[in-house]
Amino acid sequence: MESLLQRIVETGSMIAILDITGVPTVDTLVAQHLLKTVAAARLMGADCIISGIRPQIAQTIVHLGVDLNSVTTKSTLADAFAVALRRANLRVVSTAPVRPVGGPMTPQEDL
Amino acid sequence: MSVERIPILKMGAFLLVSIQVDMHDRLALQLQEDLTTRIAETGAHGVLIDISALEMVDSFIGRMLGNIAGMSRVLDADTVVVGMRPAVAITLVELGMSLPGVRTALDVERGMALLASAAGERYASDHADGA
Amino acid sequence: MAPERLPLETSEQIVVVRQAVRREAIDLGFSLVEQTKVVTAASELARNTIQHGGGGSAQIERLTDGTRRGLRLTFEDHGEGILDIERAMKDGWSSKGGLGLGLSGARRLSSEFEIESAPGKGTRVVIIRWK
Repeated sequence: MESLLQRIVETGSMIAILDITGVPTVDTLVAQHLLKTVAAARLMGADCIISGIRPQIAQTIVHLGVDLNSVTTKSTLADAFAVALRRANLRVVSTAPVRPVGGPMTPQEDL
Repeated sequence: MSVERIPILKMGAFLLVSIQVDMHDRLALQLQEDLTTRIAETGAHGVLIDISALEMVDSFIGRMLGNIAGMSRVLDADTVVVGMRPAVAITLVELGMSLPGVRTALDVERGMALLASAAGERYASDHADGA
Repeated sequence: MAPERLPLETSEQIVVVRQAVRREAIDLGFSLVEQTKVVTAASELARNTIQHGGGGSAQIERLTDGTRRGLRLTFEDHGEGILDIERAMKDGWSSKGGLGLGLSGARRLSSEFEIESAPGKGTRVVIIRWK
């Protein structure tokens, strides 16, 4: 937890994605630890998105009665990244120059 | 006992407080009072509280921050607390405080951006009824 | 090391206790998070001693237990004492800051926690933070 929070400060990141794809099981301790990490990051001014939640883990979390309502969760890292980009008002764009299909090449500035 | 107070700076429509000392309770209460007065006097739209120098935030200081946010809201101003250190955040969470109603940002720059956009939103909604 | 006993009568003295605890924790090689936790716990209990106990003292001692080292803090007052300790520790967060905040928070932040109190006999809280 400390190293994640320290990295948030060092990189000035407003959003942290916690991917738990590699976490085999989630018990109460792990769930509480995740929630505490999210809460601490929030106090510092950063938002957390938890990704990589497999169906079995989702079931465990519900059975444990853990309340994840205040946390954004996504099943894949890609989805989490998309949410993060939207929140940060950022887009990924291609830097390839745009050329018309067919027809003569019109002189354009190379981007 | 000297009359020490935590200085409050005015930056345009916002007030800025930077807590640099290990505050005793009375100093914290004085800050609460002073801020409320200054917000009312200046009609400030936002308050930024920089706690990046604080090595500890206990329940008293936590409540003070919550009170300031609450009183500011009543006086139509937003509050942002910036720069909480990781060790402090971890401890506050363990203590059981989540500071509801207090917006946070990583640093002064982002905090000001947050206040500016909040002020902008408020302006928009205040003038939304076809002015 | 002879245990240090510090008076707790005014809110300024809470800061003195915090700073003394911080110094000891640093000396013992506590990590930043460990330091922050024990200092915050001390702040909560010191405040209780003044606000609910009518004043008292704090004692700071270094402990060694085999290979591990720790800090033991004892907060004593001769106030009214607590009638129902369990209930006092369960009190949820209240805006006035009841006893429960400080006691249960301090317990969560410490490795060991002990409280002795009875009506008319004052209160004694001992916490230990092991490295």
